[in-house]
Amino acid sequence: MESLWVDIAVAIVKILVILGVALGVGAYLTWVERKVAAHIQRRPGPMVVGWHGLLQPIADGLKLITKEDLFPRYGNRFLYNLALVLALVPATLVFAVIPFGPEFEVFGYKVKPILTDVNVGILLVFGLGSLAVYAIALAGWASNSKYPLIGSMRKAGIIISYEVAITFAVMGPLILAGTLSTYKIVQNQIDQGLWYVWVQPIAFVVYMFSLLAETGRVPFDIQEAEAELVTGFTVEYGGMKFGLFPLVEWYIEVLTLSAIGVVLFLGGWSPLNIPFVGFVDPLFFLGPLSPYVWFLLKVTALFLFILWLHWTLPRYRIDQITEIAWKVMLPLALINIVITSLIAPFVWE
Amino acid sequence: MVRFLIFLLFSAWAIVSAVGVVTFANPIYVILWLLSCLIAIAGIFFVAGAELVGALQLLIYAVAIAVFYVFVLTAVPWEKAVKKDSHYRTEGILSLPVVLLLYLEMIIVFLLGVVASPEGKFREAMAKIGNAEVVGSVLFTKYFFAFEVVSLVLLIGMIGAVLIGRKESQTYEDDTG
Repeated sequence: MESLWVDIAVAIVKILVILGVALGVGAYLTWVERKVAAHIQRRPGPMVVGWHGLLQPIADGLKLITKEDLFPRYGNRFLYNLALVLALVPATLVFAVIPFGPEFEVFGYKVKPILTDVNVGILLVFGLGSLAVYAIALAGWASNSKYPLIGSMRKAGIIISYEVAITFAVMGPLILAGTLSTYKIVQNQIDQGLWYVWVQPIAFVVYMFSLLAETGRVPFDIQEAEAELVTGFTVEYGGMKFGLFPLVEWYIEVLTLSAIGVVLFLGGWSPLNIPFVGFVDPLFFLGPLSPYVWFLLKVTALFLFILWLHWTLPRYRIDQITEIAWKVMLPLALINIVITSLIAPFVWE
Repeated sequence: MVRFLIFLLFSAWAIVSAVGVVTFANPIYVILWLLSCLIAIAGIFFVAGAELVGALQLLIYAVAIAVFYVFVLTAVPWEKAVKKDSHYRTEGILSLPVVLLLYLEMIIVFLLGVVASPEGKFREAMAKIGNAEVVGSVLFTKYFFAFEVVSLVLLIGMIGAVLIGRKESQTYEDDTG
């Protein structure tokens, strides 16, 4: 009985930590994005509120919360609000299966820094990740207006196409790891002494493409195409309701998918890997904290890479996007599965 | 005990959603009730310890299949969705005996299945090697033939879809050319 209470307490602490980190960091990433974008375009970015604009996210939040809540006259209020919930909840739930570091012991209890280590973790990620389609479709439909509808149809088409590609892309690392549990995938990479990105470069590229497409980042941000659709499916939303969609899509989803990418391809919390040599840890002086720092560093690197693309590239047309998904990415992912099954026996040794 | 309570919660949720599917007139609400029902069923699978089936239920039914309904329905014009001409009452009453017969058949099949199912046989193996592995090994050894036949059905469906799609694209080309 006592262990049950301890388990519940541990779970609650984990949930609070994850929620706090996810939403707090999510809000602050707006500042990071604006700074990075500004420096890419050779301007200073937010500078007024706080030192180098550090308090800007709080000012933005206050402004968004205190704005008037506008609603389109012929819209459907229930579905309009439901779309917000459907956007936020599945995206945050994905954090439940992300392993942040190796198992450790507190007061004799073994704690895994992962909320639930279910043995189908990866499937859940993609199941929950694609529930985002409903939020987008409903947001577009409930607004009862043309721009949102066009935007949401575009985005739904993109997500459906790339969901197929991303599922086949992760099949490669899953074959090599031989498990669907996110924690064990990282553990197997450490045991085999190999980051899967070295043997799965094609899968990694397909994964990154799909990541950009699913989160609506440039070059796939056709659903909001400012020049044609204003902001796509969020046109009729105002105030914090408007702020929530980019927060979920651009920050929380990018964070979770980057973390899953790190878990699948870059060895999760393991230090630097050199093929045939093993792991080299330049951060050894951090002691037991080093795995967490490595995980954080890798996720940050992926996130900054995505920002870099976002503020550098022009965008694709919608037909080009779906063409890439079905004619390039899907065949590549299938070829990768064949290659993987050929090299898998060598990796397993 | 806790497990049973959670099971009751999910099954009540599933039944309420299923009733919602058949009673609501607006197709968008219907699809949302259907989605809620599918998620509740996934929850039931999770409670029963069938994690793989639960995740697949979520991934395939709740996302891959229901999404296409949403995709079609969001293209339904607003005025049509609000109209209440989707309920056919006389037809509904006329079809009631057939529906009852179907339910009777379902109950009989279910009871037969309970007698025939290998109860508890897989529990040991599942505890040893995990959910996905058990399903995979059973599927690719004992039921391999049935599995391949099912994939044939899917192949036929795909060929049909390609044929239907091709015809239309050809007429488009003729029009523009």
